[in-house]
Amino acid sequence: MLNSVVAGLTSGGVYALLGLCVVLTYRLVAVVNFTMAACGAVGAFVMVTLMDAGLTGWLALPVGAAAGAALSALLGSALVSWFSQHDERTKAAVTVAVYVAIIAIGLRLFGSNTTGAHRFPSPFDAPAFTVGSVVVPQAVLVSMGFAVLITVGVSLLLSKTLIGLRLQALSERPTTAQVVGIPAPRLAIGVWVAIGAISTLVIVLVAPRLGGDFATLGNLISTALAVAMIGAFRSLPLTLVGGLLMGCLEGAAGSVAEIQKYAGVVPFLVMLVLLWWRSRGEVWDTAHSR
Amino acid sequence: MSDPILSLTGVHINRGEVEVVHDVSLDVTPGAVTVVLGANGAGKTTLMDGIAGLAPVTKGTVSLGGQAIERLPTYKRALAGLGYVEQARTTFRTLTVEQNLLVAQAGKGDPATVFRLFPELDKRRGLQAGHLSGGEQQMLVVGRALVADPKVVLIDEMSLGLAPVVVQRLMRAVVDLVGLGIAVLLIEQFAHLALDVGANAYVLRKGRVVFDGPCSQLRGDSALLHEAYFGQAPTESETR
Repeated sequence: MLNSVVAGLTSGGVYALLGLCVVLTYRLVAVVNFTMAACGAVGAFVMVTLMDAGLTGWLALPVGAAAGAALSALLGSALVSWFSQHDERTKAAVTVAVYVAIIAIGLRLFGSNTTGAHRFPSPFDAPAFTVGSVVVPQAVLVSMGFAVLITVGVSLLLSKTLIGLRLQALSERPTTAQVVGIPAPRLAIGVWVAIGAISTLVIVLVAPRLGGDFATLGNLISTALAVAMIGAFRSLPLTLVGGLLMGCLEGAAGSVAEIQKYAGVVPFLVMLVLLWWRSRGEVWDTAHSR
Repeated sequence: MSDPILSLTGVHINRGEVEVVHDVSLDVTPGAVTVVLGANGAGKTTLMDGIAGLAPVTKGTVSLGGQAIERLPTYKRALAGLGYVEQARTTFRTLTVEQNLLVAQAGKGDPATVFRLFPELDKRRGLQAGHLSGGEQQMLVVGRALVADPKVVLIDEMSLGLAPVVVQRLMRAVVDLVGLGIAVLLIEQFAHLALDVGANAYVLRKGRVVFDGPCSQLRGDSALLHEAYFGQAPTESETR
């Protein structure tokens, strides 16, 4: 059981990172982005395709990150140009449509499990240290370290720099931000670029463990959304904790033979429980006015 | 009289698919308050939104310092020198007073000028804007427009929901802005207060300019003001 929970921590760090990307996109550009993991998967598959063609990993990785960033920026510019005056639901619906399109095109371009999954490099498979009989791989430390770095880095960026303050202003009052001279479209696209690049790195990190199937990696968005819900789409530290918790839960579920094959249901159960928990105090009108 | 810094020529502005402002021409001169009056629904806020870029100008030209700005995005109009104090005290509530000014600072704009103009805000520099009183929030919004080093400031109904004593305080601040050489285009529900500080006035009715002249002409003539607002002289019971 302990082994499985530690193994779950590897995924937990990655889930936290994916959740953080969802929360950041929502906080900064007010979009629930269903395409995030799919954009990251495109970047990751561009990387691995280039590696298959003979490019070294260190050269292919930035190219892949750039591809993920470019795809994310393309979606961001479309939302900024055509949907900036629409409500959050419409923007989320647009990202759902784009997500479906990316998964379909990605499967055709990069293949599925049955038509040829790719082999991703796994440079962090070596053991980092041992606790009792449990071997902790480097991947746990790398993913958790990356998640903590993003949480602290983004928190500092938002509170201590002019660009961060402007991003906060933009997220709070997009129209007023423009009225005071903040270049909202440019900043928003910058956020989309950063999210696309980070998503690619995260998918590259998790791909060796989950297998090189495009659909599996693109569908990580469901876990990312569950993690973002734990952070209430607002709190970065809570999202970080939520990701780790989700990984441990999945690890624990995987260690019990009777429920092992249902481990994939964990994110949805977490979402259901959170939805119920957060709406339990609402009166009828509030609950039905959404 | 100096040349206008902001000029509208034959401007039409839409709200959604509906044209709300029709063929409006007006001039705003530097170092003076130009007042826009009109009944509810006359198109005053749409006019301001059109100038600022929040509503589309479908015909006509908006010129700021000789540069046509009607096709520029909102933030570029702001950077060109157009300040806008929107309705409803639009502070960034989670940012502190100082941060609200910092995000808008541009050109020669200096938060020290704002704190001189509003000493009330100086004492609350580190407080989140959401915790300020209504009057202080409105002062912050005016200050935020000032710190962007504007040539013109559009002010839309800043007295909304505020106590009369606070409104008078804000009107004094508007006069101070003019003293700094800034042109002000002011919409105000209390017509008499606006006319007291204004040089020129325009009255809008159903999206069209129906009066254009010095404020002094309307100041002492409530019958003329009433007629400009509603298109007819006040009845006997209304004058009583």
